[in-house]
Amino acid sequence: MALATDAATGAKPKSEKDFATRGLSVFKASPATYAVLLVVSAIFFVPFILMISIALSSDLTSSQNAFTVFPTEFEWRNFTEVFTATGLPVGRFVGNSVIIATLSAVGQVLSSSLVGYAFARLRAPGKGVMFMIVLATMMIPAQITMIPQFLLFKELGWVNTYLPLIIPNFFTNAFNVFLVRQFVSRISGELDEAAQMDGLGYFGVYRRIILPMMWPILTAIAIFTLTHAWGDFMGPLIYLNAENQMPLALGLQYMTSTSNEMQLPPWNLVMVGSIILTLPMIVIYYLGQKYLYEMNLQGGSAGVK
Amino acid sequence: MSNVVVADEAPGAARESRGAGRRRHKMSSRRKKEAFYFWLFISPWLIGFVGFLLGPMIASVYISLTEWDSFTAPEWVGLQNYTEALTEDPVFWKALWNTFYYAAVSVPLGLVIGVWLANLLNKRVRGRKLFRTFIYLPTLVPLVATAMVFKMVLAPSGPLNDMLGWFGIDGPSWLIDETWVKPALIVLSAWGAGGATVLLLSAMNGIPRELYEAAEIDGASPWRQFWSVTFPQVTPVIFFNLIMGLIGAFQIFSQVYILTAGGPNNASKTMVPLLFDEAFRFYHFGYASAVAWLLFIVIMAFTLIAFRTSRKWVFYETEVR
Repeated sequence: MALATDAATGAKPKSEKDFATRGLSVFKASPATYAVLLVVSAIFFVPFILMISIALSSDLTSSQNAFTVFPTEFEWRNFTEVFTATGLPVGRFVGNSVIIATLSAVGQVLSSSLVGYAFARLRAPGKGVMFMIVLATMMIPAQITMIPQFLLFKELGWVNTYLPLIIPNFFTNAFNVFLVRQFVSRISGELDEAAQMDGLGYFGVYRRIILPMMWPILTAIAIFTLTHAWGDFMGPLIYLNAENQMPLALGLQYMTSTSNEMQLPPWNLVMVGSIILTLPMIVIYYLGQKYLYEMNLQGGSAGVK
Repeated sequence: MSNVVVADEAPGAARESRGAGRRRHKMSSRRKKEAFYFWLFISPWLIGFVGFLLGPMIASVYISLTEWDSFTAPEWVGLQNYTEALTEDPVFWKALWNTFYYAAVSVPLGLVIGVWLANLLNKRVRGRKLFRTFIYLPTLVPLVATAMVFKMVLAPSGPLNDMLGWFGIDGPSWLIDETWVKPALIVLSAWGAGGATVLLLSAMNGIPRELYEAAEIDGASPWRQFWSVTFPQVTPVIFFNLIMGLIGAFQIFSQVYILTAGGPNNASKTMVPLLFDEAFRFYHFGYASAVAWLLFIVIMAFTLIAFRTSRKWVFYETEVR
């Protein structure tokens, strides 16, 4: 894993690399290279085109499974119908996803920054042991705690609320603590020592000095948490039963068990829903690309899905 | 990973305790204050650890030794849930086999595709960024949306079978065929090979050029250079992806739940869907907890095997230095 980190840092800008690889036979791209890359890219892209094609097909085409890979019809009204025609509160689905994902990200950012800062900077007896525990907990699969957590949240009366999906994020997780700790360890300690001389307390140093410098890693954590919470299916499946509480990922599965006059299920609208579910993830990734790269540096690449 | 961290942790900790011994009068109140703030600041994690992890883990052990539907009092049954899973329940063994099958094929396949594509993209290719984007894009699609689309891709008269038709192959009815439902899930997993590709590409990018120059002078063919230079240099990334991939594959759930619900005839029922059904459909919390621990043991065993064998094939530069 250490090498992965070195390798990522050592990546050179494109032009420089092209220069460096000139004349070496192993880097020579043959027509076969292009042929393979073109075919593979095309195959990888087919599901996307199919998704769009079905989303733009009419109810009749969709009900007869008569759609083609490349769109031949352009029923743009499907993009408004998805909110009205299924009998499901699809607008609420989207809103619920936004609420759950945003609050989860806020929780992770707040808690992981504070805990990670403490592990990186503050000295206390027992810290080494605690950090070993942090690392060890990364190995516990979620299935072990799933059932007792459900029973706990049921006891607390949290079933059919967003709380089981949001609240645990305010108690951070081992991986994010590790990321922040690694990031802060690389920041020079001179600034916070000077600030401490000037009478700033530990919380002041965190709040005024370290937190403003942590934003690259915190953005990465926010993006990672957002995408995870946005796409999460099992959590909502366990905890949410009421239609108007479901996030989009679960609502979409629910939609496949509904019907309209013509079809069971309305596949064209399900695909519109899939596009609505996918698009924000592509946008967020595009905007936050460089911060995720940052996260790869810190975590030896575990941040990538 | 843990070794590295411990190593950079230990000297500081040692110095600290020695320093505390020598200058106790001067330092102790400041040190105490610092320690207090340490525990205060890590309290969110500590509370979460005890409340959402350690507590539930202990509870899980206990629950797995009982028969409990959560409505009536739990009944102590000892190891019966475990013996039932291992000796009586045919679905458990089937699910375990299905999970092995899926992990054993999908993880290596994803790595082979990843190494292959990364090696191609690492050449002096025009439009590298564009190709990389096309290959990476699928990994950004949420699993639920992926499942929806692949329900269509894998339909008996869907695009995959159309494509196979060009080569004269009569495609199977993937998701409703007992033999082909697991390969269908593997096809879906291969669509996400872009994640490994991008990581491997960035690792290949960092391989020192001098190694290739030396190989070139020695007259090594590109094929030989790949196996003697590129591949050993990226083995740590391959190893990392192998571990993460195995853990992920053993926990496959959403795709199965949405696409097949474990059918036909349990042919695609893997461990987590089995556990989910036992817990949240049939309220067999005791049995489901036992299944969860058995899954944990399986995952740990495979992770350990991977780590053990890694010494033979993973190349760490730090060992040479």
